[in-house]
Amino acid sequence: MNGPESGREEGTTAVPYDWTWLAKGMLRAFTLPGLVMAFSFMGFGALLHSEGLSLLSGISQDIAIWALPGQVVLVDAVSRGLPLLLAALAVTLTAVRLLPMVVLVLARARVPGNPRWPEYLAAHFIAATVWVMSEMHFSAIPRPGRLPWLIGLGSTLVAGMTVATTAGYALTGLMPPPLAATLVFFTPAFFLLALVDGARLRQDRLAIVLGAVIGPAVHAVWPSVDLLVAGLAGGTLAFLAGRLPGRTRPGAPDPEGMP
Amino acid sequence: MTVSSATWIPMVLAGTLVTYVWRLLGVLLVSRIDPRGAALTWVRAVATALVAALVARMLFTPSGLLAHTAMPARLGAIAAGVLVWRITGRRIEPGVGAAVVAFLLLQQFFP
Repeated sequence: MNGPESGREEGTTAVPYDWTWLAKGMLRAFTLPGLVMAFSFMGFGALLHSEGLSLLSGISQDIAIWALPGQVVLVDAVSRGLPLLLAALAVTLTAVRLLPMVVLVLARARVPGNPRWPEYLAAHFIAATVWVMSEMHFSAIPRPGRLPWLIGLGSTLVAGMTVATTAGYALTGLMPPPLAATLVFFTPAFFLLALVDGARLRQDRLAIVLGAVIGPAVHAVWPSVDLLVAGLAGGTLAFLAGRLPGRTRPGAPDPEGMP
Repeated sequence: MTVSSATWIPMVLAGTLVTYVWRLLGVLLVSRIDPRGAALTWVRAVATALVAALVARMLFTPSGLLAHTAMPARLGAIAAGVLVWRITGRRIEPGVGAAVVAFLLLQQFFP
């Protein structure tokens, strides 16, 4: 499904990466998806403040983790004083979805035969927004320019989101409580709509409902493992139900829904 | 009541490792894996359910600033967001905008 450009051309002379695309990637950060992302990270800054975490702890996550669902799960775990192991398990379950994104993006961006360090660097920047933006723009970028473009875009977005996190954190301390709560509310509103919007298959819709039902139920009896149990049990049930033959299976759109 | 750095630094370090490891695997497996195979479809379902559970907790039993807001305001605002997302042809931005504005307004009615 990666098309002819997926690359089995090992052994042929590699075209080197074209680093003039780095700057174009950086500029591309200042477009609508970057702005939408900035609101999410302002919400993250507000959440940090609301849960009693320091700004530095949030900025460290922007730079080192760079995956908002995992960061919100981590803030939740830190604020509730969960053991490190439980926190790491919950974060890693949200991060597995990065693997297919990295595969999809790199399959179209890497030029085999070149050193691999730009791939390891670019992979760090790949998350939902960068993946969607690469789907939008790759066809207009020559292959040797794609990895540099990704690195320029990703590094600029990270830098910008540390500013957005700082702004959200600072504003929350200055605003009257209803406004500050509204900034925090951005996180559940955005996450819920992103889940609903990304739900292309019956499996996805079931996973949302089962997670939302199992999570609070488990929270009432054993709060420290609510996310883990909801994710593993709800996700597995949804996956199995999605594989049953049914009316929605034939001709169901591609799970990732991107052309 | 800020969480001490002795608490969050190990957590963020662990979070960094357990996040990057999947990106690393993506780089190593890029020419050998079908990103739409059954294993990764299961992974997507687990991540979706986990994040849905987190959203549900932020709406039903929130902590921090949201704990001081009323449940009808939170649920009403989410309903408004989903409604606007639906009638604008499934666009996220107007949906989130509507949810946030509705939440601000509903807080006046449900203090």
